[in-house]
Amino acid sequence: MPADGHPYLFLALFAGAAVVFCLSLLGLARLWAMLVSPAKPGPTKNAPYECSLASQGDAWVQFRSAYYLYAIIFLVFDVETVFLLPFAVAFTHLSVGAFVAMMVFLLLLVEGLVWAWRKGALAWH
Amino acid sequence: MNDLLVMGLEAAVLVAGLAVLLLDLWTPPAEKRNLGYAAAIAVGAILLASFAIVLPRPLAAFGGMFVLDEFALFFDRFFLLAALLVLVISVEFADRFETGVAEFYALILFALAGMMFAASANDFTLLFVSLELITVTFYVLTSFQRRQTQSLEAGVKYLILGALSSAFLVYGIALIYGTAGTMSFTRLAEAAPAVLDSRLLQTGLLLVLVGLGFKIAVVPFQIWAPDVYQGAPTPATAFLAVGSKAAGFVLLLRVLFTAVPALGPRWSRLLIVLSAVTILYGVLCAIPQRNLKRLMGYSSIANAGFLLLGVATLSRDGVSAVLYYLGGYLFTVLGAFAVICVALRHTEGEDIPALAGLHQRSPLLAATLAMAMVSLAGVPPLAGFFGKFLLLKSALMVAGDQPALYVLVAVAVVGVVISLYYYFGVIRAMYWPAEPVEQGHLPPIQLSRPLRWSLLLCIAGMLWLGVLPGMVVNLANLAAQTLLP
Repeated sequence: MPADGHPYLFLALFAGAAVVFCLSLLGLARLWAMLVSPAKPGPTKNAPYECSLASQGDAWVQFRSAYYLYAIIFLVFDVETVFLLPFAVAFTHLSVGAFVAMMVFLLLLVEGLVWAWRKGALAWH
Repeated sequence: MNDLLVMGLEAAVLVAGLAVLLLDLWTPPAEKRNLGYAAAIAVGAILLASFAIVLPRPLAAFGGMFVLDEFALFFDRFFLLAALLVLVISVEFADRFETGVAEFYALILFALAGMMFAASANDFTLLFVSLELITVTFYVLTSFQRRQTQSLEAGVKYLILGALSSAFLVYGIALIYGTAGTMSFTRLAEAAPAVLDSRLLQTGLLLVLVGLGFKIAVVPFQIWAPDVYQGAPTPATAFLAVGSKAAGFVLLLRVLFTAVPALGPRWSRLLIVLSAVTILYGVLCAIPQRNLKRLMGYSSIANAGFLLLGVATLSRDGVSAVLYYLGGYLFTVLGAFAVICVALRHTEGEDIPALAGLHQRSPLLAATLAMAMVSLAGVPPLAGFFGKFLLLKSALMVAGDQPALYVLVAVAVVGVVISLYYYFGVIRAMYWPAEPVEQGHLPPIQLSRPLRWSLLLCIAGMLWLGVLPGMVVNLANLAAQTLLP
């Protein structure tokens, strides 16, 4: 990179080289495909592939998604741990204000948990 | 601790929201609906408390990230009043929700907290966080009737476009931080002229403008507004039209006049073009609408254009006019949505012809809607007229320096004339319907007492701001002064 060039010149060159590199590889692959495997579509070839068996039924089926509630409630404890650990380590040096702020934060998380629990989010139907 | 006191109003709103969530757990199902009144009373109390605040000088908290000045206080009161009326409308709407009535109230309070934080934001971090608090809450509010495809559609459209605009916003903030090295509006204003001149910083600001433009529904970021307004539950639409739009404007004003005051003149041409296009798009697209909520959606786009006209003047009078206009807009739009919520509950699809004979079913509802339409059209003596008058006057006062403003004023006047057509179409549908309805088919509409008081408050507000503008003009001037000393 020339010392007097614009600082973004390198980035522009880099981006250009990246695009050219990708496109040339794609072009090569295309060329290779044209030479070696010309397209011959047929009903069998166009059928959806599913472990060599003919696929059955519709792919648009409903999955049971009840687990997402547990995942969301788990986040309460997850976030709590992330902040509780440094809080515990630095506890002796903390001011009263920081302690109060942490307690407010914990109360908010507990409030979320209480709310979800009372709403029946932890009961498996 | 002092920092927490400065944001006392916001904290009180958050506590009220959490209290509603907790109270819901021990409230019998039949009583849940009335939690909305409890929330409205809490908001009213906070609104009254806000008038006890005296500010000899602006207060700052959290290292200057959060400021409490007259400008923030004006908008805090604005948002509190809007939320109060929206909560009363929500109670009327509550029987149309299958579940989660209390959560709807709580979400309105959380969105309110986000708007109040936005009013005090003096830092790009707080700008982003408060804007996300508003937007994420509205994703849920707009799709609250989740068994109705229309409501879901509104929610999905708002989610996708909202996420996209947030991405623009964050990218813009990153570019600004990258060039200026600070997130603070105050420190950005003190940055060297060389920093302000850099293209990268201006690109960043442009991207921030995209994010805010989405919130206030300015062309070309308006595409979501009509669909979301139509599909969302009426109280959510009302809050979106008033609160969310005002939050976008408060942030736009802060960024333009506190963070980059030096760049204002360079942006005026862009703001003028955006304003003119937005006004024309809003009024022209509103003409063929038959759905009342959709009509309000286009009307809100046109109003965003009028408000942007005041911003484009870049003068203190312009900002003051914007604040005044927003005040009148609050009473007008919330009055209209309260009527839409009650009067069109038994009809399919909220079409304008369904309003036929409303004045026989409930004179108060018909009068409120008629006055709201007259005010939106900008006919004296209502709030909308005086707001538009102040906006155009402020534009003409500085038009000598920026001749493009003359063109913008002409466009605005044309817009007002076109808008008369569709606003008065609504009034005609109520009082002089195309197909006269028979007397027997018109059961009178019963209004609950809180709703009646809210409607009367909206009417009083429209008249008060139109006939005796002095007090609110003074408040708006005071607020604008803190922004442009």
